[in-house]
Amino acid sequence: MSDQLASVQHEYFRTARSGRLLKFCGVLLFLSFAVWTIHHLNIPIERLLGIFGRVGDIFFNRMMPPDMAYAMQPSILYRVLETIEMTFLGAFAGTMIAIFVSWFAAWNVTPNKTFLYPLGRGILVLARSVPVLIWGMLLVAILGFGPMAGVIALTLLTISFAGKLMSEQIEAIDMGPVEAMRATGAGPTRVFIFSVVPQVKPAWIGIAIYNWDSIFRASTILGFVGAGGLGIYLRMNIQELEYENAMGVIALIIGLVIISEVTSHYLRGRFYQE
Amino acid sequence: MADISGNYSAQGNPLRERSVILKRYGWNALAGILLAAMAYHIFVVETDWARMGGLADILSTTAEFLPNLAFFPIILEPLFETLLIAFWGTTLATVIAMPVAYIAARNVTPFYPITYPLGRTIIVMSRSVHELIFALIFVSALGLGPLPGIVALGCRSIGFLAKTTSEAIENVDRKPIEAMEATGTNPISVFLFGIFPQVYPVVVGNVIFQLDINLRRAAILGMVGAGGIGYVFSEQMQAYNWNNAGTVVLGIALMVIVGEIVSNRIRTRLISGAGGSRAGGD
Repeated sequence: MSDQLASVQHEYFRTARSGRLLKFCGVLLFLSFAVWTIHHLNIPIERLLGIFGRVGDIFFNRMMPPDMAYAMQPSILYRVLETIEMTFLGAFAGTMIAIFVSWFAAWNVTPNKTFLYPLGRGILVLARSVPVLIWGMLLVAILGFGPMAGVIALTLLTISFAGKLMSEQIEAIDMGPVEAMRATGAGPTRVFIFSVVPQVKPAWIGIAIYNWDSIFRASTILGFVGAGGLGIYLRMNIQELEYENAMGVIALIIGLVIISEVTSHYLRGRFYQE
Repeated sequence: MADISGNYSAQGNPLRERSVILKRYGWNALAGILLAAMAYHIFVVETDWARMGGLADILSTTAEFLPNLAFFPIILEPLFETLLIAFWGTTLATVIAMPVAYIAARNVTPFYPITYPLGRTIIVMSRSVHELIFALIFVSALGLGPLPGIVALGCRSIGFLAKTTSEAIENVDRKPIEAMEATGTNPISVFLFGIFPQVYPVVVGNVIFQLDINLRRAAILGMVGAGGIGYVFSEQMQAYNWNNAGTVVLGIALMVIVGEIVSNRIRTRLISGAGGSRAGGD
């Protein structure tokens, strides 16, 4: 009996010790890898603290009074209007397409499991895997400069972002009404319209508003690659080293983003009570 | 017997009253007109359709982006650099976000009237500035290379990590903390031994989630000279080497997909059930 206990104890301490040793080795290996990566990236670690003093110096001396008079000139305000229009068009078109994509990509109510389900999933994965700015650059190369490339990039971003959240909402619905309708012989389209949409509609409205405010942030930058909106002024001023003007544009962007967040918060509270 | 022959559902339904219907249609019509006006402005006034050419032109331009696989080995090194930038940016953000979360949590903030608004302001500023803007500022101050990219990602991620952590701190179980305070423990020890163990799983899950998001963000930072794969992409785009640019897009997509799968695996293993999945952005 005591023999058995001793062997169990021995076994316990042996595995515990080897586990600890393994963990220690893992941590050590990871730390040495981390140190190696700093070396690999050529980061001047010994100058790191001094560097941040320089950031502050440059930030406050060269950038700090943001030139708001420059940022408020009519040609920039026109681009602000263009940016806002781009977000609305992209959000609207994207949400309309995302309704179908999320329906196809929801396993429980998808109309066709062999063909449309992989299609829906594929669209979601493909749109998510490429950053929106790269979509913007590709579309500018294909369609030419202008806000149309931006609207399509924002549409893709909406499909990837809202579509995923929307299909997760569909997968979480109560299947009772769906089964009841299927039992009466309703096809997938009617099941979707009359038993899925009524259940997910409030959540979808919340997602659509949240998505609008999330793509707003991306839209202020899209102009950087020529895809429309006020980001173009950011690029121009940075290239001409006009940092005070650039900071004016950045301050304008921050103001717009905060306004869009407040608006989105208000609208979600009004139309969608959790 | 209910009258099932006529439109009985319209009787006494407040949603079917004429004024309600008119109001609803009025709002929908207004939204439709506004959208149509915006579409007219963007797609007709602002778009140069002649330059775009016909559908055949668009398709042939698109076909030029087909990936050139011979270029793939060359982008492996920048992809690895992107991964490292994302890793160090997330690490930096985690280190800074913990004190910010501490002062931005309503129940533990040291001096409510000053530290709480300060913490909230840091969170809002970090969340509402795009990573490219941070990168532009830090590139002009620190010069080219991965360091401004790491700092930019760090600044961008503080907001999300501090926000979720401070919300987790606000929702902790008060009992262990009261027990520790009753024995006279100082606030730092209360935070380390009473609060931190409770929020630890949430923090780890969010850090891994943020690492996955930062991989996507790090891929574009190179466009402004902050290191990583984005530099190769804009270089190839400017040289009109569109096959090579297609290869870079393929590489980024593969890296992001693998990163997302790994991050989901680890998160479901670490906190089984808690959290759930989220889409990109924050």
